[in-house]
Amino acid sequence: MIQIHDISKRFADYEAIKAVDIEVNEGEIYGIIGASGAGKSTLLRLMNLLEVPDCGEVVVDGKNLMAMKPKQLREARKSMGMIFQHFNLVANLTVYDNVEVCLQLANYPKHQRRERVMECLRFVGLAHLEKQYPQSLSGGQKQRVAIARALANEPKVLLCDEPTSSLDPHTTAEILAVLEEINRTLGVTIVIVSHEMEVIQSICHRVSVMADGSVYKTIDLEPQGIPDVDHTPEYFIEKLTGEVSGDA
Amino acid sequence: MPEVLQRYEAEIWQAIGETFAMVGMSILAAIIVGLPVGTLLFLCRKGNLLENRVVFSILNLLVNTIRSFPFLLLVVFLIPFTRFIIGTAIGTAAATVPLSIIAIAHYSRLVEQSLLDVPRGVIEAAKAMGASVVEVVFKFLFVEARSGLVLGLTTSIISFISYSTIMGVVGGGGIGDFAIRYGYQQFMTDLMIYMIIIMVILVQCIQFIGTTVARVIDKR
Repeated sequence: MIQIHDISKRFADYEAIKAVDIEVNEGEIYGIIGASGAGKSTLLRLMNLLEVPDCGEVVVDGKNLMAMKPKQLREARKSMGMIFQHFNLVANLTVYDNVEVCLQLANYPKHQRRERVMECLRFVGLAHLEKQYPQSLSGGQKQRVAIARALANEPKVLLCDEPTSSLDPHTTAEILAVLEEINRTLGVTIVIVSHEMEVIQSICHRVSVMADGSVYKTIDLEPQGIPDVDHTPEYFIEKLTGEVSGDA
Repeated sequence: MPEVLQRYEAEIWQAIGETFAMVGMSILAAIIVGLPVGTLLFLCRKGNLLENRVVFSILNLLVNTIRSFPFLLLVVFLIPFTRFIIGTAIGTAAATVPLSIIAIAHYSRLVEQSLLDVPRGVIEAAKAMGASVVEVVFKFLFVEARSGLVLGLTTSIISFISYSTIMGVVGGGGIGDFAIRYGYQQFMTDLMIYMIIIMVILVQCIQFIGTTVARVIDKR
């Protein structure tokens, strides 16, 4: 689905990506992990050309993005959803309008928009919040809205840039469950950048380990499933002291 | 109503009308030209959507130059240009030319600043969704910056009122000119004070409306 071939990217005097080759297969959940500054976010942003590589090829769904004119590139991006660590919702638009914007940009038939927006919001479990503004939502809810927005135009690919890195473990598990469901039921190819081991282990089929701008190794994984995070007082006490508390 | 106000009622209404005409034209110029210029300043900045050093430098220099003129000198300096545009350099219509020019420079800078407050992530998300530059501007930037744009316009309008008071030098008239000619030069201090009160009330109203609108449309 996505072929990155011999890509390099330099920022001023710093080489962020060094001759990287990876291939993401259709229908898989592909992880990219590494320490801060390893170049994982840059690599993800190269996949929809938010960052333009200095050389190499980016092929998505059989089309070479690097060879496209601006208008063609915009069209190609409409079939690639993207979500971010800080959600990047439009704060002055309601939940409904945030999702609808994606359909406006894609010239989705007007009379079907409402139905499609609500369908996406139901998918992420937030249909009842359609009239709220992002400011009144929790982090997990904001990310769900961002997911609904990314899904609205029925993308083939979903790019996730640290999607759970500003969320607590419980919310992280919820978001991962949504992503896993999107992959399983809608067949969307997902690429996840994360520095969190559990995120990658729980849902990824393959992972590239990055270091210093290069892919160090790519490994096949057996998704472990999403951990059951139960934040009872006993859980915290056990984690903190190593003792199973029976007093509560 | 005080006797002095009754005596000059017709002149006062005319002066208020002239002030509204001059400030109204300034507001139109600010919105029609200043808003796009400010947006272009923002877009052409380094690292932004239309990054273009030449366009940015030219606009930036132009806006700075106009804003660094003492306004009275700008009015005088622009007389040939005003004559070319309006056909005369004297009167209320002619006064709108320098006022519009300062209005454009003033508001475009405030527009640029408001747009700089929009989180970069929102623009990223827009690009990732395949938005064109025009779509980014209208569906994201202006939506997210709207309360700042309104507050900026409010500040600008109040400056325009202040600028309009000295348009008497080219026969522009207006409340400020009336206060000088009748109140100051003819020693009717009470008349001058009434004019000042009218200006204060006007500014208070505009600020109140601007602040209220900005608050209501701000959902951040």
